[in-house]
Amino acid sequence: METSTDSLPPGSEFPSGIKIKILGIGGAGTNTVGRLELDELDAKGETEIAVINTDAQSLADSPIKEKLLIGRSLTRGLGAGGEVEIGRQAAELDREAIEKLIGEVDLVVLVVGLGGGTGSAAAPVIAEVASKTDALILAFATLPFNFESERRRKIAEGSIGELRQLVHGLVPIPNDVLLQEGEADEDVPMLNAFAATDRWIGRAVNCLRIMLLKAGLINLDLGSLRALLRERGGRTVFGVGVASGEDCVKEALGELAICPLLHLGDRPERFDRILINIVGGADLGISRVHQIMSQLSKRFNCREDIIFGAVVDPARNQSLEICVLGKAGVDVPESTPRPGEVESTAGSMMASESLNLESAIAQDDRPPRTVHQSKLRGKKRQVPDADQEEFLFVEADAQRGYFEKTDRNLYKGEDLDVPTFMRNGLKIKIKI
Amino acid sequence: MSASKVVGAVEIGTTKVAVLLGEILEGEGLNIIGHCVASSKGVKKGEIQDLNAASDCVHAAILEAEKNSNSRIDEVYLAQTGSHLQGTFSVGTTNVSSPDNIVREIDIEQAKEDAKRRKLPVGRTYLHHIQNPFSLDGQPVDSPLMREGERLQVGYWSVHGDSNKVKNSLRVIHGIDLDVNDIIISSIASGAVLLEDAEKESGALVIDMGGGTTDYVLYRKGYIVKTGVIPIGGDHITNDLSLGLRVGRRSAEDFKVNNGRAYYESADQEEKVWLFGDLTIGDREYPLPAITKIIEARVSEVFQIIKEQLEDAELYHPAEIASGVILTGGSSQLDGIDECARRVLKLEAHLAQGPRGVAEELRHPRYSTALGLLHYALTGQDEKQRSLKSGSLLRKLTGFFNFD
Repeated sequence: METSTDSLPPGSEFPSGIKIKILGIGGAGTNTVGRLELDELDAKGETEIAVINTDAQSLADSPIKEKLLIGRSLTRGLGAGGEVEIGRQAAELDREAIEKLIGEVDLVVLVVGLGGGTGSAAAPVIAEVASKTDALILAFATLPFNFESERRRKIAEGSIGELRQLVHGLVPIPNDVLLQEGEADEDVPMLNAFAATDRWIGRAVNCLRIMLLKAGLINLDLGSLRALLRERGGRTVFGVGVASGEDCVKEALGELAICPLLHLGDRPERFDRILINIVGGADLGISRVHQIMSQLSKRFNCREDIIFGAVVDPARNQSLEICVLGKAGVDVPESTPRPGEVESTAGSMMASESLNLESAIAQDDRPPRTVHQSKLRGKKRQVPDADQEEFLFVEADAQRGYFEKTDRNLYKGEDLDVPTFMRNGLKIKIKI
Repeated sequence: MSASKVVGAVEIGTTKVAVLLGEILEGEGLNIIGHCVASSKGVKKGEIQDLNAASDCVHAAILEAEKNSNSRIDEVYLAQTGSHLQGTFSVGTTNVSSPDNIVREIDIEQAKEDAKRRKLPVGRTYLHHIQNPFSLDGQPVDSPLMREGERLQVGYWSVHGDSNKVKNSLRVIHGIDLDVNDIIISSIASGAVLLEDAEKESGALVIDMGGGTTDYVLYRKGYIVKTGVIPIGGDHITNDLSLGLRVGRRSAEDFKVNNGRAYYESADQEEKVWLFGDLTIGDREYPLPAITKIIEARVSEVFQIIKEQLEDAELYHPAEIASGVILTGGSSQLDGIDECARRVLKLEAHLAQGPRGVAEELRHPRYSTALGLLHYALTGQDEKQRSLKSGSLLRKLTGFFNFD
């Protein structure tokens, strides 16, 4: 599991001149991106990292050079104390500075831990500021553990809802799920989960970088990413499988199949669009790529054809990384767009992409929910075969997974529909 | 034939619909003349989510049972479950009216009325008023009539539900032009046929763990003193496995049925199980503890919640539950569930044997609730102590829906 995503080898080309800005927001976001730089990324100019917080101490401790303290006049640099209102006001006060910090880039990656005051409330403001530029916005947001206070969970839920409408892609990362990651070090499960968060976000960022910046055997570029994430709202799923050694194809596929981020309780039954990038060593020939592609096409249920990319990185002989980015539920009704928001993104799209958007809407044959069931009989989806079922849920368009549309199952402040082992923080080892 | 009538016992469960047809002869005996079990659709956690889907499968099951018994149902007894069901214990009190302090019929009626007069909020409907023992001047008495005392009290365990959800169940039956004669909550129905009178007397806890809910009924000294519904069932076990093992629901279901056990033991440590077991690409091995630990966490939580609910009601006294726990329902098929119940509830526990006096094929747990409904169809109204009729309220509700 640790073999993934080194930084790009020196001397690699950056043909596109793409600029990426990674923003760590709040305490958790600042910590995560701080570790990103140290472990994963080398500065080549194409990727900039900055941190934004209300807490001066946390910023001072961060190895990231570009820092922005927001709401100084409000908190005197002492943090938001878990108060979302303070976090929001702090960001509002420093809108201009945030705008300047983001600058002119192609891709903004927001990294935030939800549940606290600054991250939860400032992230939507920052996302909104970013949405006024032409940049594509992706957010990675960690969600509080189930055993944390209901207040924190509520704050996180509210923030997720806001962010979803503002960014092009939001990847939720529940701490509960990542608790299952890492080795069986039962004593420090929470630290494990945090380390796993850093690792997953690092993987995601590096996957994106390789995809966007390196010329590939089958090339994916910013246009591909834009096409995938063209509408705001909906749900974005990220997953990755990495393996090395002789049997790395089979093992990477296996790792991808059990990627925790592809098995969240609210995972979509069906994707609207999927983009898959494969990175391998010089031994990754086109026939091998095709073999992997046909395997993956069977596994995912996707409305449109899956977009594949493949990159050869000579430094990675006998290793393989499969990175999946999917979007689902893009037809969910979006809240009223904020002023200036829609125009700016639409304007930045290429003409062909706008066409795609229209045809995608026209092709959307999903029945409205209110239709009498018997009228839907003829249109009912085929029962997926066993292979596909790996990534499916029985119910469509779920927010709460299988128990969506049922009453909440609350007992003493816990939602009993959430697996007991997760609520209890019980670690389940699923690898032999 | 004119003196007999055919009653249909219908249980609309989360996983399956069970229909039994019983022919009642002159109000005396009952012959089971037809049965059908079909997969349920549109039901989750014991509640109807999709009325049309649920109706279709219930209607098909009813028609099938009618067909294989070559008869027509005259009236239906319907089981009800779901987390919307709630129970309250209330005590009715009256001062004995006659100057000689001898309890008369009118005093008993007075005490009963007093216990049942509590009004429910709008949108709630009583399903049962279950009588508990009388007491006369603080002393428990089985039958207070003609006894001497000043203050007569009687307890009731009253169960009420969300009117709309109850109406939804009724709608399903009315949709096929049948009348519902009575609604009986699932736990009470199961308990009625699975327990011998002696077990009810010595105290017993019947736990019916189905696909979407776990229903329980506690008998103490022959009386139903508490019922409850926990909206957790086999579906949750499957969902937990699906998320925990990161496999689809179907694979999770297979693991549950083929490899599942309700408790983890250290011997599992070395055991491994295959996902598909067919050597295809994508097949992989799982450590057995992953499965047993996930299930144990879920199942023991259900028992723990039941224990807490009994404790909160001050009814958790192992000595008064001498016959222990009787497990039924689809999920009671899970290996080791009795052991898990024993460990958590600290009571003796065993799987229900199925009621005596019925055909072997009907002794399967899947029929226990429906058999209980037939039991009440035959005897319910006459059963003195455990009177189940809530009277006019339910009638009104049923009547109301005869119009649509």
